[in-house]
Amino acid sequence: MTPLVDVLTSRYAYVLFALLLGIGLYMIVSSQNLVKKVIGLNLFQTALFLFFIASAYLAGGQAPIVHHGGKEATYVSPLPQVIVLTAIVVGIAVTAVALALLVRIYAEYGTLEEDVLREVRSDD
Amino acid sequence: MTEDPTEGTEANGETSSREANDEPSSTDSQLPTETDAMGPGGTYVESQVIMTTVRVVAPFTFTYGLFLTFHGGGSPGGGFQGGAVVGTTILMIAFAFGIEPTRDWLSNRTVVGLASGGVLAFALIGLLPLLVGGRFLEHAVYSDEFGLYHGKKYALEGVEIVGIAPIVSAIVIGLFFTIAAGFVGQGAAWQSSGPGSYPEHDLDGGDEE
Amino acid sequence: MSPGAIELVLFAFVLLTALATAAFRDVLAAIIVFAAYSLGMAIYYAVLLAPDVAMTEAAIGAGVTTLLLLLTIAKTVRPGRDEIFESIHWSGLLVVGAFTTVILVTVTSFPEIGASDAPIVSNPEVSQYYIEEAYHDTGVENAVTAVLAGYRGFDTFGEAVVVFAAGVATMVVLHTEVFTRD
Repeated sequence: MTPLVDVLTSRYAYVLFALLLGIGLYMIVSSQNLVKKVIGLNLFQTALFLFFIASAYLAGGQAPIVHHGGKEATYVSPLPQVIVLTAIVVGIAVTAVALALLVRIYAEYGTLEEDVLREVRSDD
Repeated sequence: MTEDPTEGTEANGETSSREANDEPSSTDSQLPTETDAMGPGGTYVESQVIMTTVRVVAPFTFTYGLFLTFHGGGSPGGGFQGGAVVGTTILMIAFAFGIEPTRDWLSNRTVVGLASGGVLAFALIGLLPLLVGGRFLEHAVYSDEFGLYHGKKYALEGVEIVGIAPIVSAIVIGLFFTIAAGFVGQGAAWQSSGPGSYPEHDLDGGDEE
Repeated sequence: MSPGAIELVLFAFVLLTALATAAFRDVLAAIIVFAAYSLGMAIYYAVLLAPDVAMTEAAIGAGVTTLLLLLTIAKTVRPGRDEIFESIHWSGLLVVGAFTTVILVTVTSFPEIGASDAPIVSNPEVSQYYIEEAYHDTGVENAVTAVLAGYRGFDTFGEAVVVFAAGVATMVVLHTEVFTRD
């Protein structure tokens, strides 16, 4: 195998992270439907979570239940996991606010399609 | 969750006709039959299979959620995970038995109280050490100054159990029911009363027909 | 470390479900595929030894997010199914392709997955300190919980208030109370 392929297979989770970021961003940029944009936002977010979790991983390690401390085993790093844990819960809260706004937009304009919405707004 | 099952489909029909009149460019995407896929009334279809499954599974997921919350110190778990699982259990019940009956079963006071009480309890646990000259959320004060057995551990667990878990579960439940209420609230009022007759508070700067 | 069989299967599953989410024009189909994606992601987190995160993602990502999205489309309309897939948005694809390429270039300079000399794991002052001292300092065995509610309790307090504020904001946006409306 070429060196580049070697480098990428040993960092496969980061490659997946980059591809998922791209897919999420593409959904945010190009979807006409606002619900799909919110899904894209969530996809983008989980890609970042994957980045954190993958960077904390240690081959041959254990999950960070450290019992009474000490060095009888090697553990993965708990810190990125804590960040992701809180970020997931904050993420759902933010998603819910976005969806509530979508419900309001629909009640106001009767559509969730971006191009239609732009027309309706320019008519006002 | 409209009470009258025909109301939803009727409203959908009106919605699409309004679309067709107002926004010609969207006619291809707004067919009356599309939203009927969710069943009459929008979201709820009574299903024996789902109801029986939920009835069997719900006690276990609820207990599992409590276990995660209370045993977060010694095994994977904690307030965020346990609260999310407990909240999801309620959502599961609401999905199987209908959102309206579940809303009646739970009271507003319980959910709002859990969320606000969680924030207050978290703040209180954090502020108590200040009384004896400690710092905000300095859990060691509970064992050193207050003399509680394993005080610092129980203060930390207290933050998880009476602080984070109630907030997360109540907000998960509350968000679900709030978005569901938006449906039969303004959304349905707007749809069933037809175009041009919006509830006043709903359309401050809205479009004129 | 090169990926094993489980990692490869998960890699393919997650990537395919993500692509399908982006490709489906029908929003309901996209939501269902996205739930499968979240579940795949949760399993991936578990494989990467993050059980706490995996449980939260399974409950919230695959469960609550899906339910909220379903509620939203049940309450609004979804586009017709005249085409199964979205048409490709070329200018968007170009920009996103450039962005992804830039990220992929930086990937080559990251440490390998699971390398024991990766700074985030081997750092004696940070990660190793928490692993060694968590039980002694806080009295709990789960280092994630110890950091969450102990070392970084103030931060978590902020997060809890953010979640609470989001609940309030949703009620304000929708002009409604949770249960008293009738």
